[in-house]
Amino acid sequence: MKRIFFVMLVLASQTHAEVTYERLRNAAKDTNNWLTYSGTYRSERFSALDQVNTDNVNDLKVIWAYQMQPATNAGNGLVETTPIVVDGIMYITEPPSTVTALDTRSGKLIWTWSPDMPAEVKHIGFPRVNRGVAVLDDAVYVGTLDARLVSLDAATGAVRWDVEVADNHIGFSLTLAPLALDGKIIVGVSGAEAGVRGFIDAYDSATGERIWRFHTIPAPGDPGSETWEGNAWQTGGGSTWLTGSFDPELDLLYWTVGNPAPDWNGDVRPGDNLYSCSVLALDPDTGELKWYFQFTPHDTHDWDANQIPVLFDTDFNDEERKILALANRNAFFYLLDRETGEFLHGNEYSKQTWARGLDENGRPIVIPGSEPTYEGNLVWPSLQGATNWFSPSYNPQTEQFFVATRLMGAIYYKSDIEYEEGEPFLGGGEQALSGDDAAGAIRALDVMTGEQQWEFMLHSPPWAGVMATAGGLVFGGSNEGNIFALDAATGKPLWDFQSGGAVRTNPMSFAVDGKQRVVSTGGSTLFVFGLD
Amino acid sequence: MVGRILIALAVIASAPAFGKSPLDTLTDGDLADGERLFRIHCARCHGIEGGGGDGSNLARARLRFAPDDEALIGVIGNGIPGTGMPAIWTLDAEQTTRVAGYVRTLGRLEEEEMPGDPLRGMQVYQANGGCPACHIIAGAGKGIGPELTHVGDQRGLDHLRQSLTDPAVTQSQTSGYKDYLTVRLRSTGARVEGLRIDEDAFTIVVRDIGGTLHSFRKEDLVEYDKVFTHSLMPDYEGALNHRDLDDVVSYLMSLRSE
Repeated sequence: MKRIFFVMLVLASQTHAEVTYERLRNAAKDTNNWLTYSGTYRSERFSALDQVNTDNVNDLKVIWAYQMQPATNAGNGLVETTPIVVDGIMYITEPPSTVTALDTRSGKLIWTWSPDMPAEVKHIGFPRVNRGVAVLDDAVYVGTLDARLVSLDAATGAVRWDVEVADNHIGFSLTLAPLALDGKIIVGVSGAEAGVRGFIDAYDSATGERIWRFHTIPAPGDPGSETWEGNAWQTGGGSTWLTGSFDPELDLLYWTVGNPAPDWNGDVRPGDNLYSCSVLALDPDTGELKWYFQFTPHDTHDWDANQIPVLFDTDFNDEERKILALANRNAFFYLLDRETGEFLHGNEYSKQTWARGLDENGRPIVIPGSEPTYEGNLVWPSLQGATNWFSPSYNPQTEQFFVATRLMGAIYYKSDIEYEEGEPFLGGGEQALSGDDAAGAIRALDVMTGEQQWEFMLHSPPWAGVMATAGGLVFGGSNEGNIFALDAATGKPLWDFQSGGAVRTNPMSFAVDGKQRVVSTGGSTLFVFGLD
Repeated sequence: MVGRILIALAVIASAPAFGKSPLDTLTDGDLADGERLFRIHCARCHGIEGGGGDGSNLARARLRFAPDDEALIGVIGNGIPGTGMPAIWTLDAEQTTRVAGYVRTLGRLEEEEMPGDPLRGMQVYQANGGCPACHIIAGAGKGIGPELTHVGDQRGLDHLRQSLTDPAVTQSQTSGYKDYLTVRLRSTGARVEGLRIDEDAFTIVVRDIGGTLHSFRKEDLVEYDKVFTHSLMPDYEGALNHRDLDDVVSYLMSLRSE
């Protein structure tokens, strides 16, 4: 018996290979695994697996489930993790900042790690969430709610190093999945609702030493500082709370930036407020800014640009272009040239009432009177946006872009506000339309034109992302607990499962023993589906 | 009797209980700001004067989920799980306190006077109105429409009267009694009118006026209409005379948790 156990251990250890940078670069070909938050550096959230397809998806069933442990440390939160799968092991995070490794065959626990976290940990403007880990070589990296970055041994969960990224007492947190590059771990921060000054950091993956920091709100004298007045930049927000994308050939890192602070009272921060509500292209070795594009200058609706930048190459207007596509919280869909930041195309993909459109440079033509007022002002979309952090998906085989869309307006108001360290710095709020006055939809867009091909309606504005597969499917989830698959060609529902809890994750897919698996969550349970 | 008890409770509630309240230091200016914020955040459900609507009647000395001022601040900031009351997280601590202060001023407004005789109203409720056929009070009746055991806590006079005379207008579209939207469905086999109990992208559950539950897959439906302008609750305007209406409203106002 002992000998059998020993043999199995050896077998298991042989299946665990290291996740080198080269593997991450080639993740699209590593179809049985899911190596980064969005699947690949291009952030397509596309699975090339086609074993589950339009012909057989109706036979999908639960293979195993994992019930996250409530209150493992300092209370509950919401489950927004995307699992990483490496050679038979799945790494997930449980709220608020626990990392758990599971056997992909059985769902059985391999190890779990929770940080020591003060009970009074701050999370101003967002729930106690974590969206997942990064893997590189033989380590797993996680950001914590109290703004630390931790390296764990991938085999055992033992701490390799643990560094403070920023001060949680003034409102900084880490909720995103880090991005692993060549010897570097990239992270961004949450906290604009507390008036932090946002930044993007790179850390040495072996030591935890910080390599560079790029402040998203420029200090006086720096380029972009002319878009701020007085001392407003010091509390200017611009958090960086969602995982970016990377182009190894151009050697450019793409990272998105959130709202300026305070959120809804723009009177105290005149100007465009760079680089809030922008996407940045950075040199990954130095953090130097190569170009930027601001989607929503002088935002007063909390429309963070923290959505996933999707990278693809195509023939655009008879010219081969390297493109960055982004469906923004402000209800416009954008195509940018990712070498230069040049605006190529933009169109409304969801109901909005704040802009007449975009000008030739992609700048919104704002409708006067659409800002929040002291009395309240009804505007679409609501502050949660036409979409939000949850991921879109791009099918490179059909050039379709899929996005979970929130059809919801809100009465925005502003109020007077003074900054106080570690307290909400909002300057207003909203009364969102609810009940049957709001809805959601999964929409398919022609990626070249942004034109809608189809939509599948949801009962309420969703908080879950989508994943397209080579099987001709789009997987998604709903607040009402539905996990479902749509026909990517038509939007017709082909399969659905009632999970019993709100779905707030992005689906992903992997294969084990030659069998494709599809993963989502409902409430605090993770479900792994397969045909057999 | 009920009125006297309420007065006594109001006196108890207004007396300082255990130490200082965080509302003690609020100025008139703070309360005015609290009223402004209340109109933005709260009035849509609780009514512009706090008299209730989709949300509870707040113009009362005692609030069920907020027995003291600290609890009231907590309810505003954190919401009430399992009810339509959301957490108003965009208010900072000072603003939350000001709103709480304004809500307490509503509780010091004069109690709404009952327009009739609650005891006689109870008889009308049970006999002429036939209300127990659809509503439960203190365990008695049938649960088709909302339970009314504590409806006097939840809804003010105007809302209760309109629920009887024009029920389609008072039915909630937003929160609270959200399960009481009338829907009309037709599947290949049946036509059903009832109250929407649950709905998602793929399914809908409906309770008909007889209390029977119907569960459908949406793909099997030939028709599906949400009838926002109609309530399954009968319209009692004309069916009850003025005195009967006043008395039933008074009876409903008397149904309180304390």
